[in-house]
Amino acid sequence: MDGVHDLGGKLGFGPIEVADEGSPFHGAWEGRMMGIARAISRPPDWNIDKFRHSRELEAPVLYLTRPYYDQWYKAYACMLVGSGVVTLDELASGKSDGSTVTGMASPMSADEVPEAKRHGAGFDRPYDGEPRFSVGEAVLTRNVSPVGHTRLPAYARGRSGVITATHGAHVLPDAAAHGEPRAEPLYTVRFRLSDLFPERQGSLDQVHLDLWQSYLDADR
Amino acid sequence: MKPKPYDSSQAADLHPKIHAHVPSEPALRVKALETLLVEKGLLDSAAVDAWVEAYSDEIGPKLGARVVARAWTDDAFRARLLADGAAAIGELGIGGWALNHLKVVANTEAVHNLVVCTLCSCYPHGLLGIPPAWYKLEAYRSRAVRDPRGVLAEFGVTIGDEVRVDVWDSTAELRYLVVPQRPKGSEALDAAGLAKLVTRNSMIGAERDLLLGAGGA
Repeated sequence: MDGVHDLGGKLGFGPIEVADEGSPFHGAWEGRMMGIARAISRPPDWNIDKFRHSRELEAPVLYLTRPYYDQWYKAYACMLVGSGVVTLDELASGKSDGSTVTGMASPMSADEVPEAKRHGAGFDRPYDGEPRFSVGEAVLTRNVSPVGHTRLPAYARGRSGVITATHGAHVLPDAAAHGEPRAEPLYTVRFRLSDLFPERQGSLDQVHLDLWQSYLDADR
Repeated sequence: MKPKPYDSSQAADLHPKIHAHVPSEPALRVKALETLLVEKGLLDSAAVDAWVEAYSDEIGPKLGARVVARAWTDDAFRARLLADGAAAIGELGIGGWALNHLKVVANTEAVHNLVVCTLCSCYPHGLLGIPPAWYKLEAYRSRAVRDPRGVLAEFGVTIGDEVRVDVWDSTAELRYLVVPQRPKGSEALDAAGLAKLVTRNSMIGAERDLLLGAGGA
């Protein structure tokens, strides 16, 4: 979606606050939110793309001003309410109204954390077909403006690049965020900085993005 | 009742309702959420404790520094690491959150690598821990792909005209680790000593020249 989250190349955000904060969390609640996200019992249809799209649909002024882990809270609140697992009143009060949901796995116990933290999720999937592009091929990103979730940033739309790596097929975020699990070939595409941003003419610098097949056309 | 299918487009309508209903203070929101989920049998607070403890102490840049030091001292490992990052860190017993598709890129005399996530905040959590605040904020996310040399200058890093900057925007589930160059004069150090020189920022690419005797990760 053309949202405020799509920040690459946007101007006006000022200098970077480079100071090292020294600790991973700036308040106990941030750690609690991270831990809730890792340990919560989740409906079977949740996935990372639903989380990301839920996060990026926060009102722009809030997206840009609320603390980072508050965005996580909001995304989980949306997913919980949207799945019918909790109500708005329950979220507000912190107290259950007594209704129960079935078909949910029991929550992760502390004993299961050591094993869980050693294993991440994989997003590669079997794919019935041949990838359309190969390494070294010139591609043109599609100049699209999807209403739903996508991982093709605005700054890299309608631009020429070169395939530098193939990664088999990965879950397509544009489909998964909307409840359709589907995989597509994934590629790393190299762009010249000067092809992305006109004021960088003459620069030798490069930007690399990982892009799905349906974001790309052959550049002939 | 079973959970309903969730299409994340619903969030457009849910956000304003949630914002209007819940306490405005983030700490209170999160406390209410945790209490509610525990009462509903959907969360065990002891598991939250265990995750917080792991990411406060055990899981952090020290793990990445160990990988970098090994790459500096073992050419065969370095080759495997650059070819298949996830498999190579698995040899060291490292795996976890956001590491299944790890891609490792190495700085050279001619190339400097910089990692960003312009669309959200993707980061190799299981290897570098919780990302620094600046990595998650708008200034870095917007500027790293457009003005990487200006961004690096704000971190005190000057990149010569002869060096190319390669920016990696984490748009899919690949996660990136930068192997900085081994500092000159570090020949006498073993892998454990070398790991102490490796800073978190250098493994994101926000630092280039590591210093002997510097406090590392």
